[in-house]
Amino acid sequence: MRPTFLKGAIGPRANDSRFLLDVHHRQLPGEATMRRYRDDEEVDLAVVGAGAGGSVLAQRLARRGWRIVVLEAGPFWHPDEDWVSDEAGSHRLYWTQKRIIGGADPIEMGKNNSGRGVGGSMIHYAGYCPRFHPSDFETFTRDGVGADWPISYGELEPHYRELERELPVAGQDWPWDRPHRYPFSPHPISGGAQLIWKGARALDIEFRVGPVGIVNGTFGNRPHCIYRGYCLQGCKVNAKASPFVTHLPDALAHGVEVRAGCMATRVEVDASGRRATGITYVEEATGRERFQRARVVAIAGYSIETPRLLLNSTGGRHPHGLGNGEDQVGRYVMVQGADQTAGRFPTEVRMYKAPPPEISSEQFYETDPGRGFARGFSIQTVSPLPIGWAEHVLADGHWGRALREYMRDYNHWFAIGVLCELLPQADNRVTLAEERDRYGMPIARFDHSRCDNDRHNMAYARGVITDLLRAAGAQDVLSITRYAHLIGGCRMGTSPAESVVDRHQRVWGMMNLYLADGSVCPTQGSANPALTIMALSSRLARHLARNPA
Amino acid sequence: MPDFASARHLPNLREGKEPPDKRWLPRQRRGITPQMVGRYPDYDVLEQIDAWDPATRRVIEERMRAGGRRLTFFTTAEERTLRAFCDVAVAQDEEPRVPVAELVDEKLAAGRLDGYQYAGMPDDRDTWRLVLRGLDEAAGERFGAASFADLGLTEQEAIVVELSRGNLTGGTWQTLDAGRAWSVCMRMILSAFYSHPWAWNEIGFGGPAYPRGFMRMGPVGTLEPYERAGATHEDPARMAPRLEP
Ligand SMILES: Cc1cc2nc3c(=O)[nH]c(=O)nc-3n(C[C@H](O)[C@H](O)[C@H](O)COP(=O)(O)OP(=O)(O)OC[C@H]3O[C@@H](n4cnc5c(N)ncnc54)[C@H](O)[C@@H]3O)c2cc1C
Ligand code: SF4
Repeated sequence: MRPTFLKGAIGPRANDSRFLLDVHHRQLPGEATMRRYRDDEEVDLAVVGAGAGGSVLAQRLARRGWRIVVLEAGPFWHPDEDWVSDEAGSHRLYWTQKRIIGGADPIEMGKNNSGRGVGGSMIHYAGYCPRFHPSDFETFTRDGVGADWPISYGELEPHYRELERELPVAGQDWPWDRPHRYPFSPHPISGGAQLIWKGARALDIEFRVGPVGIVNGTFGNRPHCIYRGYCLQGCKVNAKASPFVTHLPDALAHGVEVRAGCMATRVEVDASGRRATGITYVEEATGRERFQRARVVAIAGYSIETPRLLLNSTGGRHPHGLGNGEDQVGRYVMVQGADQTAGRFPTEVRMYKAPPPEISSEQFYETDPGRGFARGFSIQTVSPLPIGWAEHVLADGHWGRALREYMRDYNHWFAIGVLCELLPQADNRVTLAEERDRYGMPIARFDHSRCDNDRHNMAYARGVITDLLRAAGAQDVLSITRYAHLIGGCRMGTSPAESVVDRHQRVWGMMNLYLADGSVCPTQGSANPALTIMALSSRLARHLARNPA
Repeated sequence: MPDFASARHLPNLREGKEPPDKRWLPRQRRGITPQMVGRYPDYDVLEQIDAWDPATRRVIEERMRAGGRRLTFFTTAEERTLRAFCDVAVAQDEEPRVPVAELVDEKLAAGRLDGYQYAGMPDDRDTWRLVLRGLDEAAGERFGAASFADLGLTEQEAIVVELSRGNLTGGTWQTLDAGRAWSVCMRMILSAFYSHPWAWNEIGFGGPAYPRGFMRMGPVGTLEPYERAGATHEDPARMAPRLEP
């Protein structure tokens, strides 16, 4: 292991976001003085989506002097007024435009997996920031399942390290696979997490505190976490990392324009069909269609919207949409099997206190032939608030009087969850439905079914966390089957026959069209994806800076 | 004397998974809970309202004004069945009630949907109307009643249990997947009920916590100064008739 620095003392080299933020309010600094570009001005880069991937790309290249416009469908947040410390009141943070879900195991969307607005899904993500394992980049070679990436863990590692300083990530020294340290010390953990830790000990399961993108101490002008537990409703404190506080302040300071309320509907190409000329979009406020010219175009709308935009960009040499000559766009979309199990304890636990992401285990991450399936899962604390808890109780089959009885017992419960790696399958895909949205764009349909390996993994993982809760002393357990996170849909690969982008995330056959979000991942491991999505964008930015298209 | 350390009151651990009669619980002494029962008779989350940030406070105060509001999405004809269904779904059998029907109506009227629709299912707004119609049909078919709302609690529960298992068939249910429809409705009902401070009082939830935060995270059982432990003893003078769980 490399010699480490003083924890909490050193920030990133080329990102001043933490100093640009204001201690007294949560507004994105620089909004009022933000640089504006004209539509007919050919900017160096137009990005669709101000989320995890899009924001990092914009911030990096703005520092290299690129003139950049980011189009974002959702609002420009003013957290002090727009965000609330309340579950039901946080509805606006989610992507709630209609999507059709099908297949044998349909995936519920909305609050569960995608955000809409400046900052993207990380505005309401939980905050876990683990790295992928080296094995995730070569599951086909190692385990005969999934796919190999055209890049290795080693190529992302420097970017992981840099981003862990930028977020910053807090946690204990990480023992699994490629051991590493985190720049910030682990947070104190709640009484509930201590119960889990004790149960895990009894079963020889190792846990570690973190890794979470939550400030421990202070970080520039970002304060310490106040342990109020509303991470999935947007952090009104600025303690939890999201591009809104980690990359966009620096991006704006370097001349990026974030144009909110602008829904991209098509990527336009020139007569050759090989060069993107810019993006057609609808301005929400006026309903007007506009066109932004750009030298390079990057799409970062996440696993449903990125394929949808490519599929909708038909015409000329691209009758089936951009990058879709081989019918690969929208395929291999993945989620993680994210069952949660809650245990009942004799004492009050009050799981609403502390951030939901507290401790995690990657002991079951890698393939173990003895388990009878390939790949594995991770275990994490999840701590639902009352509405989330009610959904959990309902899923176990209780409603009416029985549900009320379980709900009244809320303070005696603590919940943990798994993230099972589900394998990429060609038919788990995004297509365009008949129905159109208010911009006239066909809405997305996402079909999802599990394979046998997926089912075995999920059943095994649920058994492990149920045993764990029993070992911790739980008197009763309730479980819910669910899915979390989205990855893939436009995967990277070595040939257009089985992928949409090359190893530099450039759409096959296009000279200047890149994808910069979670859609490019060929597998997803059992790790939460945000850090990896940001690291990929950071790597892409370095490539573009060295090889301007 | 209720003993919350034991789990005897939890349906999964009981004969027939039947929950105990709610009268095993103390009556609320401070603030309001739905039906005035709860586990924290001396806790009122609304006493903390001054510690909430203005944006959060506005949203919750607005929510608390929903009670008794005229429905705009549902028709007068649908309203009775809607109210009866919402009552049974979260066991609100007497006043005070969390205004679930009003909150659901408001959400549907404003088109604040969840962002996904199962293939083969109608739009959530149509699903709601169809469910109400289907409940009335089931009431007619099984009990010869004109409306689900005319039935007694036991009959209503008998229909809802079939709905929850996806077992309703015939008529409207020919075209509507009952199990999926149940989940569409319950998502909205639960989110309405447990977004209300009265329900937070009932379950002892700390409520909004910005800007103050929580400072006492452990060991288990540690309380903030304003939180109250579950009451294990009550003021006998104010208690409802007592049943053992
Ligand atoms: C509840 C929840 C919990 C999560 N927990 C974790 C966690 O603990 N750890 C973790 O690592 N990950 C977590 N995630 C996942 C993580 O947030 C996402 O994987 C990540 O943010 C995806 O990054 P992205 O750049 O691909 O897309 P996003 O961050 O979603 O950004 C996409 C942006 O593009 C915009 N957009 C889309 N289409 C268009 C268009 N046509 N025109 C204009 N704009 C458009 C969207 O509005 C959005 O803002 C969680 C997600 C959710 C929802
Ligand atoms: S618990 Fe901490 S990180 Fe989460 S929302 Fe609250 S202050 Fe932010």
